[in-house]
Amino acid sequence: MHKLRNNIMIHPPFDSNSASRRPDGVNGCRYSTGYYLQLIKQGAEARVYRGRFLGKAAIIKERFPKRYRHPTLDDKLTHRRTAQEVRSILRCRKAGISAPVVYFVDYTSNSIFLEEIEDSVTVRDYINSVLCSGENAEKLIDLANCIGQILSKMHNEDVIHGDLTTSNMLLRDSAKTGCQSLVLIDFGLSYISALPEDKGVDLYVLEKAFLSTHPNTEHVFEALLKSYTTSSKKSLPVIKKLNEVRLRGRKRSMVG
Amino acid sequence: MHFTQDLELFPNCSVTLLLFKEVQNAAELRKKAMEGLINGALIKPTMIVDAFQVVVATNKAVHLQKLGKLKTRTLYSEIIFNLSPTNNISEAFKKIGISDGDSSVLIVLINEKDINVDRITSQVDGIQIHIDNLQTMADTSTIRKLFKITPQEEKIGTLLDAIVCRLSTKDVC
Repeated sequence: MHKLRNNIMIHPPFDSNSASRRPDGVNGCRYSTGYYLQLIKQGAEARVYRGRFLGKAAIIKERFPKRYRHPTLDDKLTHRRTAQEVRSILRCRKAGISAPVVYFVDYTSNSIFLEEIEDSVTVRDYINSVLCSGENAEKLIDLANCIGQILSKMHNEDVIHGDLTTSNMLLRDSAKTGCQSLVLIDFGLSYISALPEDKGVDLYVLEKAFLSTHPNTEHVFEALLKSYTTSSKKSLPVIKKLNEVRLRGRKRSMVG
Repeated sequence: MHFTQDLELFPNCSVTLLLFKEVQNAAELRKKAMEGLINGALIKPTMIVDAFQVVVATNKAVHLQKLGKLKTRTLYSEIIFNLSPTNNISEAFKKIGISDGDSSVLIVLINEKDINVDRITSQVDGIQIHIDNLQTMADTSTIRKLFKITPQEEKIGTLLDAIVCRLSTKDVC
C-alpha cells in the first residue's frame, strides 16, 4: 500500500497485513494485540527483535524501508536481500552447516522469523574472553580449525557469506567445544558464486575483520586458513586469489 | 487431548489439531472435505513429525489468506499445500492430504469453538488419541525421501528443523 505525496511514493513503515504496530520506546515494538517483540539491534539495514513465535523462542529480522532510496529500487533490493538470505540459509543447512532454522518469511514487511540460538556467545566475545583471561591459546587454534573447516564446506557449496566477521558466528552451548556448536548467522549479503575470486574476497573480509577486532591473533587466523586449505580440494585457487586480493587497495603494490 | 496454538501475528486466530487412529471412514471423510463440507484440513499423520510443522504451515496460510494471495482455493487446502515440499498442488493433496485407504487422520481446525470440534469429531469413525502420538506415527523414511533430507542436515538439527526450513522457504528456493 503506497501513499502518493507530491508525486513521490511513500512506503508506510509497518506492514498493514498484521495488527497495527508501533514502536514501544527504545526497547521494542508492540502490536495492538499485545504481542511484544524486544528490539535487540538496530542496524543500517534491519532491526532485529526477539520474541515468542508459534511457541518457540525466535529472532525476527525486519528489513525496514529505506526512504533515502528510490521506492521502486528499495522494494526490489529489500525483497531480493530477504530472499537471498533465506535461500543461503537453506543451502547451508542442506550441506550440514549450522544456520538458524527459518520459521516464517513475511514478504510484505520483509521480516524473517528465525530460530533463536539460545545459550550462545559470538565467536568475537569468546575469543576476547580467552585472550583477556590469558588462557591457553590452544583453545583458539581448535576454534580456528573448526571455522576453517566450516567455511571450506560453505564455499564448496558455492555460498558466499558476504559479511564474515566473528560477530556473525555463534558458539552454541558455550561449555561444549567441537565443530558442531558453531553456527553461522546473518546471511543478508550472501549470494551464490563458484568463482574463486568471490570466495577469496569472502575470506579477505574475514581476515580484515578478524585482525582488526582481535589484535595480535595472526597465528590464529593462519591456522584458520590452513584448516580451510586442507579441508577441500577446491581451496587452492581460492587462497591464490586471496593472496592477489591482499595486494590490492590503498598503499599497495601496483604490480600486476 | 487435542492441541491448540494461538497465532501471535493474527489476533483471535487459534489453530486446533485433532488426531485419530483406527479410522474406518477415510474415504467418506475425504469426499466430504473435497466437497467443502468439513471446515478443516484432513492430513495424513504419517507424513507429519510434529505439531509445530502444521502450525508453521497454518500460519503461512492465514498470512496469505489475509493478503488475498492464496495459491489454492481455500485456507484448508492451502495448509495441505504448505506442508508439501513442492509447488505442485495436486501432488500435495496426494502425498499430504488424507487418502481413501488411510487408517489415521490429523484434522486441522482454525478458530473452532468446542461445539464445532465435537461436531467434527463425531463425523470421524475412529478413536481420538493424544497429539503427542504424532512422533511415533511418522513414517520417517518416506518423509526423508519426499523432502530430500540429507544425512548431514540431520547432524546439525532435527528432522523437524529440516522440514520446517523447507516449508518456510519453499517460495524462493
